[in-house]
Amino acid sequence: MKRFLRENSLGLVFGLLFLIVLCGQAVAGHADFNQQQLTEGLPPVSLGRYVTSASFGTDVAENWQSEYLQFSLYIFLTVWLLQKGSPESKSLDEAGLESDKEQKVGRYAEENSPKWARVGGFRRALFSTSLGLVMGAIFLGSWLTQSIAGVAAFNEEQLGNLQDPVSWGEYLLRPDFWNRTLQNWQSELLAVASMAILPIFLRQRGSPQSKPVGTPHDATGVEG
Amino acid sequence: MVLLALTGCASVSDRGDAAAAVALRMLTAVQNDDGAGACAALAPDTLAELEESAGQPCAEAILDEDLPQPGEVSESQVYGQWAQVRLTGDTVFLGVFPGGWRVVAAGCTPRGERPYDCELQGS
Repeated sequence: MKRFLRENSLGLVFGLLFLIVLCGQAVAGHADFNQQQLTEGLPPVSLGRYVTSASFGTDVAENWQSEYLQFSLYIFLTVWLLQKGSPESKSLDEAGLESDKEQKVGRYAEENSPKWARVGGFRRALFSTSLGLVMGAIFLGSWLTQSIAGVAAFNEEQLGNLQDPVSWGEYLLRPDFWNRTLQNWQSELLAVASMAILPIFLRQRGSPQSKPVGTPHDATGVEG
Repeated sequence: MVLLALTGCASVSDRGDAAAAVALRMLTAVQNDDGAGACAALAPDTLAELEESAGQPCAEAILDEDLPQPGEVSESQVYGQWAQVRLTGDTVFLGVFPGGWRVVAAGCTPRGERPYDCELQGS
C-alpha cells in the first residue's frame, strides 16, 4: 500500500487537490449565487440545487475546456514546433513524427511494448495519436458543455433582468460565450509559453520539467 | 452536465406549465376583481413595491393596475429560478419561491434588447 502511494503520488495528490478545490468552488459559487438571488429578491437555493445548476456547470466546464485545449495543443504542436534551450522541446533535429525505430513501433517494438504498437494498420495509427485525440475530445466535450450550460445560465440572468432568453445558436454569437471562452484561453496560452521559455534560463532542481541545474542554457530537449 | 441538461427537459416542461398556471391565475383573479387572490400569486418584493407606490393594500392596488386580460399561453420558458410566460397581449416573469412560482413582473411589453417595460414589477 505504502509503495503504491509513493509510486502514484503525483496522480493521487493532484486528483485529491482537484476534488478539494472543486468542493471549494462549489461552496464559494453557492454563496455568490445566493447573493445574486438576494439582489433579485429571490430566496436562496440549497447547495445541492446549486451544484446541479447551469451556473455551476458553465463555471466548471469553461475552465476544463481551456485546460484540455492547452494540453491538446501542446501535445500536437510539440511534435513539430521547437524551442531552443527548452526542456519542453525535442532536440532541434527531431521535429516531426520520427521514425518507427525511434518510436519503437512495428518491427522495432520491444518485448514489453503495448500490443497496438506492435501491430500495424489502423490500430497502430490510432494508438500513436491516442493521447492527443482523447485530450482533444475532452476539450471539445467540455466546450460543448460550457455552451449548453452557458446558454441556460445566461438565460436565467436574462429573465432575472426582465429580458428575453436566447437560443443556443444565438448564444454562440453572444459576447458572454466568447468572453468566458477567450479569457480562459489567453491565460492557458500564456502559461504554456512561460513553461516553454522560462526553463531555458531558470532551473528547478529535481524536477523533470526543468533541465538539470548545471545544463547550459542552449541545451535543448534535456530533462532533469 | 450535458446528460443533466438533456434529462432535465421533461421537468423543465412541467415547471413551465406550473409557471404558466400561476401567471394565468393571477391575471384571472384581477379580471374577476379578486385582489386578494391576485396578490397571493405575487413575489414578496413585487407586492411590497405595489403597496408602497400605490399607498394602499395590495388587494386594492392591484385592481387599479392596467394589467391585460388573461390571454392564451403561447410559450413558457424556464431557466433555473426564473420563468417567462408569453400570453396573448402580455408577458409575465416569475421566480421560484418556497411556495412555488410567484409573479415578479406582469403587464410587460418588449423594448428590444433592453429590459421589458412592466406595469407591475418589484423594485
